[in-house]
Amino acid sequence: MSKNIFKISVGYVITFLFIITINFFIPRFMPGDPFTYLSSDESGMNVTYSDEEMQKYKEYYGLNKPLGIQFVNYIRNVLKGNLGYSIILNDEVSKIIISRITWTLGIVIISIIISCFFGTLLGAVSAYNRNGLIDKIIYSVFMIISEVPAFIIALIFLFYFAAYLDIFPLSGGFKPFVEYESSFENITDIIHHGVLPAVSLSFINIGNFYILSRNSMIDILQKDYIITANAKGLNKSRIILRHALRNAILPIVTRIFLSLGTAIGGAVLIENVFKYPGLGTLMREAVFFRDYPLIQGIFLIMAVMVIIMNLTADIVYKKLDPRLK
Amino acid sequence: MKKELLKVKDLKISYFLDSEVKEAVKGVSFTLYEGETIGIIGESGSGKTSIAMSIMGLLTNAKIEGKIIYDGIKFNTLRQKELNRYRWNEVAIVFQNRLDVLNPVLTIREQIEEVLKKHTMKSKGDIKKRVKELFSMVNLEEKWLSSYAHELSGGMRQKVLIAMALSCNPKLLIIDEPTSSLDVLSKREIINLLKSIQKKNNISMLVISHELPVIQELTTKVEVLYLGHILEEGLTRDLINNPMHVYTRGLINSSCDINVYKELWGISPKINLKSGNGCPFYQRCVQASKECTQKLPRLSYISIERKVACNKGGIVTILETKDLSKAFKSHGSKIYACKNVSINVKAGEVAALIGASGSGKTTTAKIISGFLKSDSGSIYFEGKEIHGCEAMRKIHGIQIIFQDPFSAINGDFTVEKAVKEPLEILNIGSEEERKAMVKKALQDVQMPFDNEGLDIRCNTLSGGERQRISIARSLVMKPKLLIADEITSMLDPSTKANILRLLKGLQNEKGFSMLFITHDLPLARKIADKVYVMNRGSIVEEGNALEIFNKPKCQYTKKLFKECFHMTV
Repeated sequence: MSKNIFKISVGYVITFLFIITINFFIPRFMPGDPFTYLSSDESGMNVTYSDEEMQKYKEYYGLNKPLGIQFVNYIRNVLKGNLGYSIILNDEVSKIIISRITWTLGIVIISIIISCFFGTLLGAVSAYNRNGLIDKIIYSVFMIISEVPAFIIALIFLFYFAAYLDIFPLSGGFKPFVEYESSFENITDIIHHGVLPAVSLSFINIGNFYILSRNSMIDILQKDYIITANAKGLNKSRIILRHALRNAILPIVTRIFLSLGTAIGGAVLIENVFKYPGLGTLMREAVFFRDYPLIQGIFLIMAVMVIIMNLTADIVYKKLDPRLK
Repeated sequence: MKKELLKVKDLKISYFLDSEVKEAVKGVSFTLYEGETIGIIGESGSGKTSIAMSIMGLLTNAKIEGKIIYDGIKFNTLRQKELNRYRWNEVAIVFQNRLDVLNPVLTIREQIEEVLKKHTMKSKGDIKKRVKELFSMVNLEEKWLSSYAHELSGGMRQKVLIAMALSCNPKLLIIDEPTSSLDVLSKREIINLLKSIQKKNNISMLVISHELPVIQELTTKVEVLYLGHILEEGLTRDLINNPMHVYTRGLINSSCDINVYKELWGISPKINLKSGNGCPFYQRCVQASKECTQKLPRLSYISIERKVACNKGGIVTILETKDLSKAFKSHGSKIYACKNVSINVKAGEVAALIGASGSGKTTTAKIISGFLKSDSGSIYFEGKEIHGCEAMRKIHGIQIIFQDPFSAINGDFTVEKAVKEPLEILNIGSEEERKAMVKKALQDVQMPFDNEGLDIRCNTLSGGERQRISIARSLVMKPKLLIADEITSMLDPSTKANILRLLKGLQNEKGFSMLFITHDLPLARKIADKVYVMNRGSIVEEGNALEIFNKPKCQYTKKLFKECFHMTV
């Protein structure tokens, strides 16, 4: 058992090193460089650096050194936990990411709980009434939902609930420039801002959970042991919950962890629609300004999340399925 | 008066498939009395498992008509919830042993305990005690209780399934293929286990299996199922020793547990899907006639305790001789070459007439085929008395193949002429039809049948080839009975093997009966269904081939076998 986990972990470490390497090289092969952008701000006022100044900055950030040396330095720093210094925001990358990731994780986790719960439940209902009217209705609705791109759903929500009905705020993660009177007020405000992004994000995942749960349940309900359970004269609830769902839940659990890993990436578009102060919005800014250290930092965190969640999924699945022990 | 425990009446099951409705069981009726064990045998797809599942009310997507009455209660009209009171508690099932029959993520203990909890016991202590009791009943160590299905071997899983089925002390136990996929030792163990359980608890059982030894050991009565119809019903021992339906005989002949000596031949798989209203077995039956394509036979008694569904009342007798006697005069004294010989050959059967040279075998053959006239006695072919060469002279009659292919065929004839001769003499068919029949017969015996092949002169052929020509010459007449008189004694072993396999294959395909005359005992043991032993003109012993070869009763037969098989009798 532990030997197995060790083996799997070695695989993940290799993957991780591979990702760091790619992470280092990609921004350096992108066209453009950070200093041309530093020199032209959005107001259109051109502040041009002289060649001399550019040279100075490049030297300061170590960008004038040969690639090989930059790479070695990069790895050394990453392993120390030092992700570098953001060129735009003038702060440590790791600090920036930590301050932003909580926002993203918040809506991601909530959205996964929502989508997993409803998706699995409706999937099971659908499977049990397979080919019946209920199944057909639910199935069609989910087919449509999963075909519509998430940012369009987000925009529709934004227009309807925020702009038209004015129930939710248009953007951001909290009211700017406000002093909260109590922490309760603070929390309600954050929740108030988080509802639309979280619900929109749920739409990305709910289709997956629904289809997975439906297929898995349909498959399980046809198994011989369900017939056995029926023959035993057991109650319907026991057959569905203990015999069927206990088996059908296995692929769903895996999917939950995999979704946690990838959902941060998926959140990028949603966060940008709502201007939510999470990692996704940060990433857009970083790419826009060619802020190499920040881009690398964000990519690295996302990749690490995927790896960790994959590993967790592997381990949890093995715990849940006695056949793999 | 025995009490009826389960009565199935005119049960029909149809499955709703994507676009069609498929009838799997078509009007099956039987009654199981308390303490009795009934077996259901039949090929896969005959509807055995469907019947079991319908009794338990487990079929989804299917329409069930007819009555399933358990202990006076109409099972198939109960709602699932009402049915749950009887399921497992009174009627339990041991499913066919597949990995998925047990839930892979629940422990064995939980899967057994849940039925006790549901049906009989409430206290945890009682449940624990009962589970232990069940495990010791099926000889399983308790440590396996906390394991999962995939950790058990096939035999252990089967025991778990049995223990689980017995947990609530059911009155009726349905057992589906209890030993398939088990090795010999586990098989034995499971059979013994089921036997002892049945004896101890006096449980009624419905055993479904395609393995005849299982049925033989566990059941007293048996139903033979084919495409959803019961074709034969009877007491297990009688039915296996003396099947009365062609299908049952085919099943028994296909079992190497029962046929330890004979070569294996399945029932010919001629399946034409359009069956119409006639007998379901029509396409594969060796004795089918036109009537069978239109009339559905009903299951009816042909003797006490035996029912057969056949338009002809079961396997028909093709040839029957009564007290044939023939004496030759030699030096003034009368020598009986054949004395009160009574034999009968059924449709599709191979009867071997064995005995030493000079025992009167060939004389008997000659009398039957009409070459010799008997002094007394009579011969019946398909129930009608025949005289002389009558039956030899017609299509679908009797044909004979002789020992010596060289003298049996005129060497100057071409192959075509030799095979066509009987058709020409009897003026059957037009010239083209005859040629087509000849070609077909030659093709059947695996000889060249193109124009070049037809023109070969018989004297250029080898012994084996000539014997094939003899067989072809018989086959053009489409005989119902083929008498083969020592046809392989002049052939080398390899040719002999080829000719025999060919002949047996043709017999299996075309369904004719054979009277196989030989002194070659090992050969007879390989092909005969029934054996007649002749000595000094008389039949000294007759019966089922297996019984005779295993336990000869007559001193003469014993002596013969002792010499031949070195067996100690």
